[in-house]
Amino acid sequence: MTELYQALAQGLLIGATYGLLALGMGLVYGVSGVVNFSHGDFISLGMFMCLALYSAFAMDPYVSIIITVPLMTAIGALVYIFLIRPMVGHQFLMVVQLTLGLSLVLQNGILMVFGGEPARTPSFVESKLIILGDVVLRVPHIVAFVVSFALAIGLYIMLRSTDFGRSIRAVHQNAHAAALMGINVGRVQVLTFALGIGILALAAALLLPGTPIQPTQGLRYTVITLLVVVLGGMTNFVGIMLGGLIIGIAEAFGTIYLDGPIGLLLPYIIFVAIMLFLPKGLTWSSAR
Amino acid sequence: MLEIDNLVAGYGGVPVLRDINAKIAAGEIVGLLGANNAGKTTLINSLSGMVKPISGRILFLGEDISKLTPQARVELGIVQVPEGRLVFPEMSIRENLLLGGINAHARKHRPQQMEKVIGLFPRLGERLTQSAGSLSGGEQQMLAIGRGLMAEAKLLMLDEPSLGLSPLFVQYIFEIIDKLHADGLTILLVEQNLNLTLRHAERCYVLERGQVAVEGDAETVKNDPRTRSAYLGL
Ligand SMILES: Nc1ncnc2c1ncn2[C@@H]1O[C@H](COP(=O)(O)OP(=O)(O)O)[C@@H](O)[C@H]1O
Ligand SMILES: [Mg+2]
Repeated sequence: MTELYQALAQGLLIGATYGLLALGMGLVYGVSGVVNFSHGDFISLGMFMCLALYSAFAMDPYVSIIITVPLMTAIGALVYIFLIRPMVGHQFLMVVQLTLGLSLVLQNGILMVFGGEPARTPSFVESKLIILGDVVLRVPHIVAFVVSFALAIGLYIMLRSTDFGRSIRAVHQNAHAAALMGINVGRVQVLTFALGIGILALAAALLLPGTPIQPTQGLRYTVITLLVVVLGGMTNFVGIMLGGLIIGIAEAFGTIYLDGPIGLLLPYIIFVAIMLFLPKGLTWSSAR
Repeated sequence: MLEIDNLVAGYGGVPVLRDINAKIAAGEIVGLLGANNAGKTTLINSLSGMVKPISGRILFLGEDISKLTPQARVELGIVQVPEGRLVFPEMSIRENLLLGGINAHARKHRPQQMEKVIGLFPRLGERLTQSAGSLSGGEQQMLAIGRGLMAEAKLLMLDEPSLGLSPLFVQYIFEIIDKLHADGLTILLVEQNLNLTLRHAERCYVLERGQVAVEGDAETVKNDPRTRSAYLGL
């Protein structure tokens, strides 16, 4: 029983951050139709930036976000303007290929700068634990959960009740009509992509404490994010957060209950099972 | 107010509109007629900046606007109510109206403007929180016009507002158009429906395969044999 609670708690905590990662991808897909296969490598980039800042200034990852979030947001804007935008409107596969190429560039760039050895970035909360009955929770996971949910709620409120948020939804629902309202559709697309990458910088800092990182990990995060986004129905806000929790829990169960490769496969098995029965993902209500 | 000067425009460098010359005076209601595929929507989209001109000029209040972005034109008050209405289906009526007034010029006056729109369309006011996708075609057309008015239009361009509506709603929408005209709004009314438009517009242009075939007041256009042939595609 203890193990069950432990797995549930751990999965829920980490799943909230997966949900947040996927919200960024879903937003970008919603306004530009772009699926970014270098998503996970941008998370890597964020994590290695934190590592560099720690090595140079002994900066805690939670503090580094002051630098990494604006920097990655700017990088996101530039990548969209100079690389992705020229491809949008062409073949969907060309955009896919471009972002896959970008993934390799990022991965190898990080490899060149930091080498291939797994590295750790310490944080002051890294080894702190909270014990609830028999369940042991790591403080970084709790921080990640709380911040991820707060951000998700913040994003939701932004989408619902600000002009920028309504512009994003308008472009998603009908880009032509949005332009006729006087919305600069191109600008909304750039800002949304930049926002998505900025969120990744934050998520990177949340996932980092106590986790060894290596340059090749990006693909794993991309795949997890894709699972969550598809599970959540691509652009459904609530569905995506729920998808994040489900994949997080599946992953925790897999590593706690099952040995080796089968355990790591559990999220994918659950994913396939859900998609077999609910081909449209968890989209019973449309939050957008 | 608006002057179109030898406009050539189309898609991918291929002209659809050839040598269009037209004028709309302030306070006027002008009809733009033509059969399906004549180029009416292309012309209205050229005025909105959604279709880029190949050559020619568009003057609005004496200024050449042909190189301005769609946003800049909306801010000037050139506002389109598109064919097929194109309301944002997953948003409420209120959000659709707010989006109508999102341009930098109109944004400040949205609360007052919304009161006016609700005054004009009480039916929208009664269901502000209902999603636009759940409205009937006629209600969606009201919303699309209301959304256009939120932008503080100086020139309101309506693309086939009667399309797909029941006769009762068509009559209602045209009463609203007359009312807006009586209040001094300048209107470009794009329609396929010949007789209906001739009854409401002061002057008309008839497009045929991307060119102006007939122009003049309603009576002239009605009696010109080329009007009929433009419609029959002869
Ligand atoms: N987006 C587009 N791309 C290419 N051709 C188009 C496009 N929209 C319209 N056309 C062509 O332009 C011509 C005029 O169409 P349109 O302006 O929609 O006519 P109308 O509104 O009078 O029915 C048609 O031959 C149509 O096929
Ligand atoms: Mg048309």
